[in-house]
Amino acid sequence: MKEIEELFLPDNVRYAETHEWARADGDNMTIGINDYAQDQLGDIVFVELPEIGATFEKGEEFGTLESVKAVSEIYMPVSGEITAINEDLEEAPELVNGEPYNAGWIIEVKPNDPDEINTLMSSSEYLEMLKGGE
Amino acid sequence: MNEEQIKKTPLHDWHLKHSANMAVFGGYEMPLWYPSGAKREHLAVLTGAGMFDTSHMAVIMVEGPGALALLQACFTKNLNACIGKNKTPLVPGRCAYGAFLDDLGHVRDDSIVSQIASETYMIVVNAGMGGQISRHLENQAGGSDVEIHDLTDGVGKMDIQGPMSARILAGIIRKPEAVFDRMVYFSFKGFFDDDFPLADAVRLLDGTPVMLSRTGYTGEFGFEIFMNPDHIGHVWKMALEAGKDFGLVTCGFAARDSLRTGSVLPLSHQDIGPWPFINNPWSFALPFNDDQTGFTKKFTGDEALINIEEPEYTYPFAGFDLRKVSPGNSTIVTDSGGAGIGTVLTCVTDMAIGRVDEKTYSITSPDRPDGFNPKGLSCGFVRVTRKLSSGDFVELRDDRRAIKVVIVDDIRPDRTARRAIKTML
Repeated sequence: MKEIEELFLPDNVRYAETHEWARADGDNMTIGINDYAQDQLGDIVFVELPEIGATFEKGEEFGTLESVKAVSEIYMPVSGEITAINEDLEEAPELVNGEPYNAGWIIEVKPNDPDEINTLMSSSEYLEMLKGGE
Repeated sequence: MNEEQIKKTPLHDWHLKHSANMAVFGGYEMPLWYPSGAKREHLAVLTGAGMFDTSHMAVIMVEGPGALALLQACFTKNLNACIGKNKTPLVPGRCAYGAFLDDLGHVRDDSIVSQIASETYMIVVNAGMGGQISRHLENQAGGSDVEIHDLTDGVGKMDIQGPMSARILAGIIRKPEAVFDRMVYFSFKGFFDDDFPLADAVRLLDGTPVMLSRTGYTGEFGFEIFMNPDHIGHVWKMALEAGKDFGLVTCGFAARDSLRTGSVLPLSHQDIGPWPFINNPWSFALPFNDDQTGFTKKFTGDEALINIEEPEYTYPFAGFDLRKVSPGNSTIVTDSGGAGIGTVLTCVTDMAIGRVDEKTYSITSPDRPDGFNPKGLSCGFVRVTRKLSSGDFVELRDDRRAIKVVIVDDIRPDRTARRAIKTML
């Protein structure tokens, strides 16, 4: 298990309490799970993705990550419509473990409110939350 | 359970130093997986070898003129008729799998019993069960001439499992040819206590006496190694060094769980537990007579097993892709008509198997198709109220999804546990 100090929590994404990240890319947002979540889940062997065009509220489950050990939900960090899914994960779900912020992204959404991303935590705020949970 | 009560094995610091993800299992904090990941660990046990810290298991010694009679009265396996096709009695150097039941025929725990000497037996039970099973045996022994010693936390244990296991061990033990000679499945040599004459049979290069048992919990060729817990730190490192050229990886409990499930081995208190130990894939652990109508000996729980009025059945199943359901009270098994007929005991993914047309292959099946690169299949055990047959389809349904699975006799094909040792050297 990674020590909290070993986690890679880049500053260019925002963090949800449920361990997803979101990054604004023009009008859309890219969403994935963070380094802490992938380390806790272990080898991801299957990713269940939503349909393009589906809409979800913030906090709603939009898919599942199947690790060797268990099945875990992934939650929307902001409300919006799915505009793209990472189809590479079908053949290579392990990208979520290896490159959680890049090639292991999960969905792209068009947010209902582009400013909602500001309700998410910065990397330092997220780190504080993890430390508080120790 | 608060932190003070959580136990650690002598290798705990090693696991932390090597960044294992840890979780509590049977009261002990144990590795779930190492940074290499559970999938690689699972596959390594099929293609090379995996090494597991299993010091959480409890060891009980039963000794004296009354030892055999006590075990015959408490253990499901008939120790007077358990070796080979001709069912000959257990002898020193051989072991047998069975269970300890209560009067209702429910499982207290399962166990491997090894005969150490004519009146000495070693019992390995699950983590945290040493006290309970020892007390049960003491109660059953009454005034008979038998001594019972609970060695919980007094024995270090590690398992090396996989086709390269013997080659790795050959690099760390004295006289490997003699040790491995005619070492059949479910036999052992050596002992970890220098006071026993057997101890000289297997010594590591540095003289450490160990008990080397050709048993395990993965379905693959391999060994369980018992020793004084003071030695396990350096033995673990010695084995890792010797295993470098043989694909040896350290493995955690996630891989242990998926490997044992694929091999149709039960997890005590999950697949067997407080319900009658019968109508399950492990009936070989019961002393059935030839026509399966009764038992060849008396033992605790026998009458309850014979007189069940509303039987339930435990079956192995395999899915059609790797997706799992989460076992639990709200997860149900439904038949083709949609009626609820039972619960899911275990559901994991065996990552080494896949289906091609109608047939299941493993990554080591000799007849696997060219380029076979499976993603894994979900598999496990269901407990249902209706008799099912191999090939019957059922659905497993949890809060999230429903998956179609088929009842099977066996899960991961072409396992190596029973291979002749001379072909594995």
